[in-house]
Amino acid sequence: MSDTLTVDNPEMAREAAAEFRSVHASIRAEVARMIVGQDATVDGVLAALFAAGHVLLEGVPGLGKTLLVSSIGEAIDLTFSRIQFTPDMMPADIRGTNVLTEDEAGGTKLEFQAGPLVANLVLADEINRATPRTQAALLESMQEKQISVGNRTIKLEEPFCVMATQNPVEQEGTYPLPEAQLDRFLFKLVVGYPAENDYRTILRRTTSNSEVQLNAVSDAATILRMRQVVRAVPVPEHVETEAIQLVMATQPGNKYTPSMINEVVSLGASPRGVQSLILAGKVRALLEGRFAVAGEDLRAVAPDVLRHRILVNFQGMSDGITADDVIQEVLK
Amino acid sequence: MNQQKTALLTGDIEAVAQNTSRQIKTLDQRSFIRANISTALKLLIAAPLLAVTTQLLRWLFGFAAGAWLPWEAWIFLTCVIPAVWLCGEAAMRQFQVTRHRALRAADEQIGSSDRIVTADEFLRRTSRDGFMQAAVEDAVDWAAGGRDTVLDRGPAEFSVSRSSLWPVPVAITALVLAGLLTQLERATVADSPAGHTVTPVSDSTSVEQTPTPKKQLLTTNDQQPPPKQIDSSPDQHSQRAVNRQGAANAAIPDNAEESQGKVNEGETRESRQSANPSSAKGSPSASGQPSRPGDQTKTTPKKKQQVTPKNDRKKKPRKQNDKPSGATAGQGSSKGSDNNAAPSDWASTSQAATPDDKDIEDEDSVDDEEEEQESRGGVQPNMRDRRTPVNRDLQIGFGTDRPNPDANGRGGPGGQKKSRGVASLVLGVPIPDRVNGQPNKGRIRITQQRITPEAEQSDQGPAQNRSPRDGIVGPIHHPDFSPWLQDLVKRYFLDRRARFPLRTSATQSAPATNSVNTPQTINATESDAPQS
Repeated sequence: MSDTLTVDNPEMAREAAAEFRSVHASIRAEVARMIVGQDATVDGVLAALFAAGHVLLEGVPGLGKTLLVSSIGEAIDLTFSRIQFTPDMMPADIRGTNVLTEDEAGGTKLEFQAGPLVANLVLADEINRATPRTQAALLESMQEKQISVGNRTIKLEEPFCVMATQNPVEQEGTYPLPEAQLDRFLFKLVVGYPAENDYRTILRRTTSNSEVQLNAVSDAATILRMRQVVRAVPVPEHVETEAIQLVMATQPGNKYTPSMINEVVSLGASPRGVQSLILAGKVRALLEGRFAVAGEDLRAVAPDVLRHRILVNFQGMSDGITADDVIQEVLK
Repeated sequence: MNQQKTALLTGDIEAVAQNTSRQIKTLDQRSFIRANISTALKLLIAAPLLAVTTQLLRWLFGFAAGAWLPWEAWIFLTCVIPAVWLCGEAAMRQFQVTRHRALRAADEQIGSSDRIVTADEFLRRTSRDGFMQAAVEDAVDWAAGGRDTVLDRGPAEFSVSRSSLWPVPVAITALVLAGLLTQLERATVADSPAGHTVTPVSDSTSVEQTPTPKKQLLTTNDQQPPPKQIDSSPDQHSQRAVNRQGAANAAIPDNAEESQGKVNEGETRESRQSANPSSAKGSPSASGQPSRPGDQTKTTPKKKQQVTPKNDRKKKPRKQNDKPSGATAGQGSSKGSDNNAAPSDWASTSQAATPDDKDIEDEDSVDDEEEEQESRGGVQPNMRDRRTPVNRDLQIGFGTDRPNPDANGRGGPGGQKKSRGVASLVLGVPIPDRVNGQPNKGRIRITQQRITPEAEQSDQGPAQNRSPRDGIVGPIHHPDFSPWLQDLVKRYFLDRRARFPLRTSATQSAPATNSVNTPQTINATESDAPQS
């Protein structure tokens, strides 16, 4: 990572914020050439990219999740790799492994062949179709930004972002992601069906001879600089307090927890949830043209940040209560 | 941002905070009143309850104690007490509005997304980076525009749920009850010149001795021109009865005053009126029947029954013996009509209609039950058949061949019996197929034996003579070296052998030349190995 960004005067702050909005808008516009509709999903994915987080996209097949991630990869000019998870996939298949190769002298040697995980932008397609063993192989790369194979540790190149897609767990042949891995995703975005007008545009674009070629409007260095801008946004004390209380309210047995949550929630958000809340709030504050995080930023990003960190117990599930309902109860 | 702009912004934020906090305080008071209006409604019943209680107490003491507030005063108190409490509570409570809350409310009102409250916080910090300064400058326009912010006041009207309106009818009912008691007082005052009903316990002279209440009574009597004693005939009857009772009270001897006073204190005026026909009811039977010795005791215990019921119960058996009645012999109750030789219609109908006779019947039946219990020598009915319960054991036989004395044939054959006879051949008969035992190894018993310790016989020799142990020591694990370690060890010894070739040969040829130095050389060779 490059040097830390220092913003000494308000002019620099305004310039940095303006550049951030410009970069975001250019990427957004380029991706919109390929992706029709799904504005909230595209904004969420880009927010996670600027906040140095990972995204989990959930939706039924055919909604363009994979296309969205690949389009972002093309628009930013990042090294992009796609992993199609299957039940028989092993951890070495995604991390890489030592293979026996011949050297120049005619002998043999063990050489590390990097897996698809060694890239800037990794699309983990249908991640919940892999076994928990393979899913857990992603943990180190997502948290430490490195992978360990044998006695070798490989530092992943920044920006590193895992964008995973998954089908709803109700479908057959899926393995629910462990909580430890879910917690490492900044956002969980639920991809919905397009609107009626979007269907027409999709049909015209995909059923004709016209092909859309995306251009790279940004690069890795720009993304890294924008990440520093995001981290430079200050957080007022009352917003910090609100974020902390918001997360603590999701934990059963806490003094801020509503009674309904005590009954239906078995696992609340972790401290990683507060970090994610603040980071996502910073991105939103910059996009809204502000120079500090406000309470409304937290409330806006809370569903995407906390959705996958809250585990509803059996009683809640039997009552039809989802994690989104719990978040709405907390936000009251 | 220069100092002047900063000061201007600080002033704007201060003005916004003061303006908003003032409005929030008002809103808090309104919301407090709105939240506690149901509690205040409960206080509506305070004054009416006090009125009813006061009137009841005054009625119990013959309306002589205390003075009665005017009707309008009670209504005024009823309405004023909740309002005074509500306003007082709202005024006394300290509605603290913090600066942060006030600024945040202003932010929400004008839609500035926490810009003012954030700027206020950043202005208090000693050091500010570029983003903080930009945030402060960003709030200048918002703070200037928020000086005259008017917060939403919420719903204007106070909505009270229907369930919390219950004190209103209760208060009205209590006030009406108090008013009825007031009417009763007036009626009592109207009755007071004719008799002694105001204070039956005391003499009529006591009313005369207190001139002020008498004057009040007279004035109330004058204020009501159509009193009941003039028009209605039932009132005339009651008035006559009261007069008669007044005369009877005057005729009661001094030793009977105490019991008479108790009766009059515990009864209302109406109850006394209804008691009079019952007392007069006995006179026709007495007139139609030749006087007997039990007739006097027949009427008087009914009056004394309320005072001393135990004595009455003791007297009852004798009373039944005195008057043998064939019609009531089975029921054990005796009525005056059986003994009445001259039947009279009014007497029978009045006896059947008056509730006092029902009470008498109930009392008689209770007395009969008690007598029945007493005739058994105090044994309770349920205790009569207390014996050991029947043995419900399924065995017919008792012990070996003796019959079970408690068996009544309801138990049926036992398992042993079932397993022997034809029943054992029927598949429907359950046959125990489990063996009693313990699921574990059972109880562990530890026995201690007293054995005198003895010294073991062994050869005492030098430790150097002891041979190494040659018994089975178990499997010794010899882990295989991994390939790289084998390679390392192999290379180490090859290297060592290459470096010290002559030394090894010298040690081999040493015994022939110098036998004294041989052990030292060997030791040196061995000691070199670990060092390298």
